[in-house]
Amino acid sequence: MKRALLRGSAKRSSRLLALLIGVLALAAYPVLSDNLYVQNMLILTFILAIGASGWNIMGGYAGYISLGSSLFTGLGAYTAGILVADFGVPPFIGCLVGGVTAGVAAALLSLVTRRTRGMYFVIVTFAALQLFGLIARNWKSVTGGSSGLAMPLPMWNIAYQDWPFYYSLLVVLLAAIAVSVLIRRSKLGTGLFAIKDDEDKASGIGINAAAYKMIAFVLGSIFIGVAGGIYAYYISFITPAGMFDIVASVLMVLAALLGGRGTIWGPVLGAFIIEPLSELTTTSFGGPNAGSFRLLFFAGILVLVVLFLPKGLIPSISEALHNTARMGALRIARGSSSSGASARTQVAGERGASAMAGDALKVSGLTKSFGGVKAVNDVSLRVGAGSVTGLIGPNGSGKTTLFNLIDGTVTPKAGTVALAGTSIERASRARRAHAGLARTYQLPRLFDSLSVIENVVAPERRFSLTRLFLPRMSGDERDQALDVLAQFGLAGFADISPSDLSYGQRKLVELAQILSLDPVLVMLDEPAAGISPALTERLTAIIRNLNGQGIAILLVEHDLAFIAELCDNVFVMADGEVVAEGTVAELTGNAVVVDAYLGEPAALGIGKVKS
Amino acid sequence: MAALIQTLVFGLLIGGVYALMSTGLTLVFGVMKIVNMAQGAFLILSAYLTYSLWTYAGIDPLIGAFIVAPVMGLLGVILYKGIIERAQRIDAGLAIVATFALALILEAVTALIWGPEPATTTPDYFNQAVHIGSIAIPKAQLYACIFAVVITAGLAFIIKRTWLGHAITAASENPEGARLIGVEPARVGTWIFAISIATTAFGGAALSFLYQFVPDSQDGWIGLTLSVVILGGLGSIPGVVAGGLVLGVAEALTSNYVSVQWSTAVPFILILVVLTVRPQGLFALHSREDVSS
Repeated sequence: MKRALLRGSAKRSSRLLALLIGVLALAAYPVLSDNLYVQNMLILTFILAIGASGWNIMGGYAGYISLGSSLFTGLGAYTAGILVADFGVPPFIGCLVGGVTAGVAAALLSLVTRRTRGMYFVIVTFAALQLFGLIARNWKSVTGGSSGLAMPLPMWNIAYQDWPFYYSLLVVLLAAIAVSVLIRRSKLGTGLFAIKDDEDKASGIGINAAAYKMIAFVLGSIFIGVAGGIYAYYISFITPAGMFDIVASVLMVLAALLGGRGTIWGPVLGAFIIEPLSELTTTSFGGPNAGSFRLLFFAGILVLVVLFLPKGLIPSISEALHNTARMGALRIARGSSSSGASARTQVAGERGASAMAGDALKVSGLTKSFGGVKAVNDVSLRVGAGSVTGLIGPNGSGKTTLFNLIDGTVTPKAGTVALAGTSIERASRARRAHAGLARTYQLPRLFDSLSVIENVVAPERRFSLTRLFLPRMSGDERDQALDVLAQFGLAGFADISPSDLSYGQRKLVELAQILSLDPVLVMLDEPAAGISPALTERLTAIIRNLNGQGIAILLVEHDLAFIAELCDNVFVMADGEVVAEGTVAELTGNAVVVDAYLGEPAALGIGKVKS
Repeated sequence: MAALIQTLVFGLLIGGVYALMSTGLTLVFGVMKIVNMAQGAFLILSAYLTYSLWTYAGIDPLIGAFIVAPVMGLLGVILYKGIIERAQRIDAGLAIVATFALALILEAVTALIWGPEPATTTPDYFNQAVHIGSIAIPKAQLYACIFAVVITAGLAFIIKRTWLGHAITAASENPEGARLIGVEPARVGTWIFAISIATTAFGGAALSFLYQFVPDSQDGWIGLTLSVVILGGLGSIPGVVAGGLVLGVAEALTSNYVSVQWSTAVPFILILVVLTVRPQGLFALHSREDVSS
């Protein structure tokens, strides 16, 4: 263990050293060499690297791909251009304001995409790029239209060549990288990766996805905007076609994908490959068709990267290098997993401990239909504070839909939901989680981009802006999460990916995860289905223990023995309606219940049904 | 008043053509959940092929369309099998990037074959008009719209009445169930792509005598077709007809009462406004699963 730690820190310091040498070499280059060709190429490489890194915060971390990121280059460039030409603002100040414009535009576009997911983001960014290009072309009095806008020529001594451009871009690039690193290490980063893996689930554990995405998009765009301003000043002439350039957008995507999206150095590496290639193609493809050949060349590389290197260079290489090491780590984890599987754990915080009187959950008249089918019809039920309540019924009777209505995944047509006396049916999913509503899924949903322990720490009990910038996991949080994992018998797996766990273990991790919400009510969707008897036993103990701490539990399960052992009160659903309620003893032999289960008598385990 | 009616007639006629141009995009999305960013490039390539048939063989664009459509359908299948289907299997999010890369490749190839000069076909009806009272109905728009109605109706017939159509509907609504009854969604995907791109080719043929085009016009046409399908709700075929008509009229009104330059911004503005206000489209009854309310 110690040796591994040492090796880790040795690796980290050698990486820092390499970084330092790289930065120093880049910083020294213009002073040591007066080769303007290379200087120009490095300037353009920095711009592309900034673009790709900015794109990566949204596209790589959160998984929201933009095809229109040169929109921010254009906005930065025109803001700087107009401020400098019309208002006499110093150029580099203009560039910074350009970054602000880009950030504001990104915030507005986040509002446009607030209600949509996935590919709509591609469409919106594409449309916004085209729209702003048209505005720049048509609003001639301000932008100069197609004939463009001239920036003043640099005032500094010619002996300094393009140094101010070079160094300012290097600083912006280092800032973009530093911010990428900080985001990755912060709670914001955890949330973004969670959103990339499973946005719906992320909202369910209290992550305010819209806010996370907006912050990521704005932060990334600011850097692209500043770089756009400097770029405009550098080439000294701004045109709509040159600035709001879709091909420039595609190069950002290409650089990030090629190097490895979601990594810190991938976009930078990609830019250092793509931009020199681009220079090479400009000089080697001549004639009237040069532009078409370049387009063909880069679009072709993009297709090849998507098909044959979808993860990008850095992840693919490090995967190949670490494959053997990872096998070793897994073996160690397996070895230590058997120890310490007592189910006594103190997870409940302020809320659970002060077990309130009344109902943890009260559902009245909840109704939802899909097409013509009433999946849930006028359902009312209550889960008493501190109780374990069962919910049974044949497959398709509406139990999971009811869960989805309660946690806000699905919007009901009618009905109310109150959690500990507060009505929540209008609250967002994240809000419901903040209020103390937690659930697990039939098939556990975990974030594979995060480690097991990061999954456990990921839930948010409330939204606060400052919290987003705290480190991913504080020492306290880690200790607490390790404690819970240890109690669940999973301590040895804390630092591996949940994708390496068994199905039953994933179920336990999901339960450990939602406990971080300090829930008032935990809804478990078939927790015991498909797991081993040993795990079922552990699960029973865990549920007892949680209940002992005042957490109310609503349990959907087919295993009646399991229900009988745990539940004080049981509701029976059939065809979307609650048809009976009582203790298991009361319900056994109840004609309505038997009727509900006629289709699958074995599941109820009450002997042969008379027919 | 006459000017307004004239504008509306013009907008509705062109709107019908827009619907034809966008049907392929919505069909591919409905079944495969891919936004085909190469839609504009397929349109422009079809327009160029129609143009070559017109200039070298004197074949009328509306007839030439029936030669171009199967060729484009075949190209669609090759590109789907070779690139898009694979990309989607690797990462659904990257499939859309792949289709855009494809658009750029097609643009480059078109430019290499036909050069950067603006092209257009000029059948004798392209600058004639039918007069009804004081209203002039340009024949080109009229024929194109009739053509669009016929092709879209034919497509609707295929989807409503044939086995293939039922397979497509089944695969788009319930892939698992479709597999159970012997419809392999992947195979249906190939058919969808073929049909979609062939339909798009008819749109490209109409484009060839309605507009001048250059290889990089494809950018604008992606925006336009995207705007039509978003207005109508991504994936909905009746929505495309409604979306096409709305966009046609909105553009005609803008170019008549605001300015021609700004009319090209209408599709992009509509995309942003509709997605902000009503992401499921103006004409969809149900909200979509991928749109949270």
